[in-house]
Amino acid sequence: MSDIATTHATKGTIGENASRPDGGPKVRGEFAFSGDLWADGMLWGRTLRSPHPAARIIAIDIAAALRIPGVHAVVTAADLPASVNYGLEWRDQPVFATDVVRYVGEPVAAVAADHPEAARQACEAIDVQYEPQVPLLDPAEAAAAPPIHPDGNVFRQLTIRTGDPSARGPIVVEGAYEVGMQDQAFMGPEAGLAIPADDGGIDLIVSTQWLHNDRLQVAECLGLAPEKVRLSLGGVGGAFGAREDVSLQIHACLLAQRTARPIKIVYSREESFLGHVHRHPARIWMRHSAEADGRLVSFEARILLDGGAYRSSSYHVVANATCFSAGPYKVENALAEGIGVRTNNPPCGAMRGFGAVQVCFAHEAQMDKLAEACGVDPVEIRLRNALATGDRLLTGQVIEGTLPVARVIREAAALPLPPSPEIADPMTRPGGAGRTADAAHVRRGIGFAVGFKNLMYAEGYMDGSAARCRLSDGLATVTCAAAEVGQGFVTLAQQIARTVLGVEDVLLAPADTSIGSAGSSSASRQTWMSGGAVEKACQAVRAALLQHVADRHGIDPAQLTITDGRVTSTDARDSIDLAVADAAPGVVFEEEVEYHHRITHPLDDDGQGDAHVSLVCAAHRAVVDVDPDLGLIRVVQVATAQDVGRALNPLQVLGQIEGGIAQGLGLATMEELTLRNGRILNPSFTDYLIPTALDMPEVLATLVEEPEPGAPFGAKGVGEPPTISSTPAIVAALRAATGKALNRVPVRPQDIALGDGE
Amino acid sequence: MIPASFDYRRAASADEAIALLTENGDDAKLLAGGHSLLPLMKLRLARPSVLIDISRLADLSYIRADGDQIAIGALTRHHDVEVSELLAREVPLLPAAAGQVGDPQIRHRGTIGGSLAHGDPASDLPAVVLALGGSMVVRGPGGERSIPATEFFAGFMETALAADEVLTEIRVPRLEGAGWSFQKFNRRAHDWAIVGVAAVRRGAGSGANGGGAGVALVNMASTPVRATAVEEALAGGASATEAAAHAADGLDPPSDINATPEFRRHLAQVLVRRALEEAGA
Repeated sequence: MSDIATTHATKGTIGENASRPDGGPKVRGEFAFSGDLWADGMLWGRTLRSPHPAARIIAIDIAAALRIPGVHAVVTAADLPASVNYGLEWRDQPVFATDVVRYVGEPVAAVAADHPEAARQACEAIDVQYEPQVPLLDPAEAAAAPPIHPDGNVFRQLTIRTGDPSARGPIVVEGAYEVGMQDQAFMGPEAGLAIPADDGGIDLIVSTQWLHNDRLQVAECLGLAPEKVRLSLGGVGGAFGAREDVSLQIHACLLAQRTARPIKIVYSREESFLGHVHRHPARIWMRHSAEADGRLVSFEARILLDGGAYRSSSYHVVANATCFSAGPYKVENALAEGIGVRTNNPPCGAMRGFGAVQVCFAHEAQMDKLAEACGVDPVEIRLRNALATGDRLLTGQVIEGTLPVARVIREAAALPLPPSPEIADPMTRPGGAGRTADAAHVRRGIGFAVGFKNLMYAEGYMDGSAARCRLSDGLATVTCAAAEVGQGFVTLAQQIARTVLGVEDVLLAPADTSIGSAGSSSASRQTWMSGGAVEKACQAVRAALLQHVADRHGIDPAQLTITDGRVTSTDARDSIDLAVADAAPGVVFEEEVEYHHRITHPLDDDGQGDAHVSLVCAAHRAVVDVDPDLGLIRVVQVATAQDVGRALNPLQVLGQIEGGIAQGLGLATMEELTLRNGRILNPSFTDYLIPTALDMPEVLATLVEEPEPGAPFGAKGVGEPPTISSTPAIVAALRAATGKALNRVPVRPQDIALGDGE
Repeated sequence: MIPASFDYRRAASADEAIALLTENGDDAKLLAGGHSLLPLMKLRLARPSVLIDISRLADLSYIRADGDQIAIGALTRHHDVEVSELLAREVPLLPAAAGQVGDPQIRHRGTIGGSLAHGDPASDLPAVVLALGGSMVVRGPGGERSIPATEFFAGFMETALAADEVLTEIRVPRLEGAGWSFQKFNRRAHDWAIVGVAAVRRGAGSGANGGGAGVALVNMASTPVRATAVEEALAGGASATEAAAHAADGLDPPSDINATPEFRRHLAQVLVRRALEEAGA
């Protein structure tokens, strides 16, 4: 850890390391996660899922399941009172399969029983007659194959064309790259409790990223008015994009409606892997040409993303992958073609980094090839091409905000390197716990990578967030539906209120649908969007308080200010000096606001347009030790400099950086859902490998603070950048240590030891 | 992840455990640390109708010298093996390997007897006891018998234990200064070995426990297995490198998401070479 203080301020304001209100309970095991939910008289829900990647359903017989003692209901698609489809934006996914199943794990029926074991037996007793079909599993064949869904097999095809793509510099490098299917692998499996209400509606407590979107989908499928479906946030054990789509919400509510009893559903770990979307696997081809000095002349890319059986957010993942395919580099002439397709593989959607992760692995490998071909240092070649404010993106958009690419490169490269492997602690050698490799076998490599992406949604999406602030005798209460998924919004909301209102005590009301939507906790957007809404609401309350004080003293409110928790006048003659808590005894100030960012625009037929609100970048340098005979890897250190706009809570930023690097390391070296015939072979934390504390490297971080114009407090979202360029930096280091091409992640030991990575 | 239902009985003595096994036959399983059995039950790969809990039989938890050998009670926890001063002095291979079983929580619950009786080819300790030339002391209704490690592992998760027998003690010969090595390859800390090697090299004819090499492999066959081709090559005067080339001879290593058979053969050769080099001549 380099330049970030790690001391806490219990009740901090903006810029301080305020303590998380949920931190203590989580550490002590007292925090109630959604899996802990309980209601008297509740039943247990369970989902029956397809064992086939593609099959016709001939018949479903539920009679035997209904005869099992303790079973209260068995529901299928036939029981849905209204819409039979759901989906984050496009409703292309059946709540329960009707005539066909399109992936292994697709819900077919759900049961409610008085005990989990009875529910399990009931699912086993449901007799579904399938007629298996030949599944469409190769994404390269999907576009031309017969459609496996009425909406066709192409989710989106996006071409970005700028300048003269046939222009050529004297140096040309080309490569094909592949990214495996990563899972978000959060710790707290999907869980929720649906409670039927006296008014015919439903109350649903659930771990999710976006309460209001879930509500809309539940209401549509249950045939209820949206206000009859009331959601509140259950304790969330991680999300990373996997809770943006509905999982058990509709099933639980339908069962609650049918049985008139509370329904609890908790997924097992295996079901969790089947029940949420994953990161899109990608096949990417790129060709760069450059002048002899390494300055880019042209860029071409073809990006194929496997979206699996249903659309989810594939449309937008294609946009991000294509828009950011060249990386944070200036290039005048480009042709980038992205396509996302439907297959009978598990559905893919949002995951931290969202399209930018896949292309960053490819463009950074290309930049290293270019550096080698030009005889230029990898850091230097990135500096020579670095985007900056005023430059154009591939989409023609001029960068108006901050984007300190050159600075993050320089600052990451300047961080100190770790000691050489000879003197290092044996515990840090390859082999996890450091026991198999010995120093004589170890080779060290260093790799560098830079990545960027947008913040918030794009292409004209009308994004907003609502917040309410209430102030009464110095106690502020903030209400916002932003889902706390671990990122620390709850801390920031309190810091913002303390800063604007000059109070110490800030209550955060539960996140629920009693207020307007806060949008999703995704796309690195909540600090900006809901932080902006909370700031705006608090400022409205502050203005009302100052008006009240001004009215009582017969002065202009413009003369009043709040400093260090006191209302004072800028005009010394007024002699006003009141604690905020005493400034308006018994008066309640309450304001509810909506916050919106600036308008963006769709992309045209050439993929050109002012589509993105703001951009963010980071650079990573990785140091790895490799035992090449065994293919054993030890990531020794990752150093990073990240563009954060302004760090509102440096310690929380560091938490995001360390967690994002862990996830990037996972994709680089071990995390992959292995499929065979569309079936996930490793749906467990025994076989789906995520890094442990012992696998994590030392992390050095520098926060680059160049406040973003238009952003609340100048802050940018910080959640995604650590995952984007950490993976390619680690793989670049592996290439440096082994001389292998390593064009696919995750890199497996045999790719290094047997040369399979050529 | 909830096991099928089962009856639970707690045995107060080894004899009571044997009586309960005799009474319940094949449907019963012994529960010691539970760290091998319970995961299988949760996956419903094992569905015993009766669990006989022997974890409180304190008289089966010990490590003591007995002539040329060290005797270890079957209920001795991995952690106690790992920190035993007697073993560190007399059979350091065993605590070195025990210290690599799972993670600290597992090592404080799991037992050496449970690990051996489970017969999992991916477990570390069976290969270690094979390489050491150890033996198992088992007790049944008819009394006690000793089974050499080489005859103990009968098939995939099957041992020579009869349905009514309890493994009570593991005996391993003192190393008497012989060289040894334990090599464990996994992609991530705390995981099972993808391939592992335990090796012991004694000077020819030296000491009461004889000469020669013992080399055994983790996760290279359907049982914990001795690398007999390596041992024979060494006996014939081969160098470590020459002998290691035979590491996978005659073996049919498993294929799973962690490694292909081809990669396992490669790993076995590299790890056996390193193990022999570390163990010395």
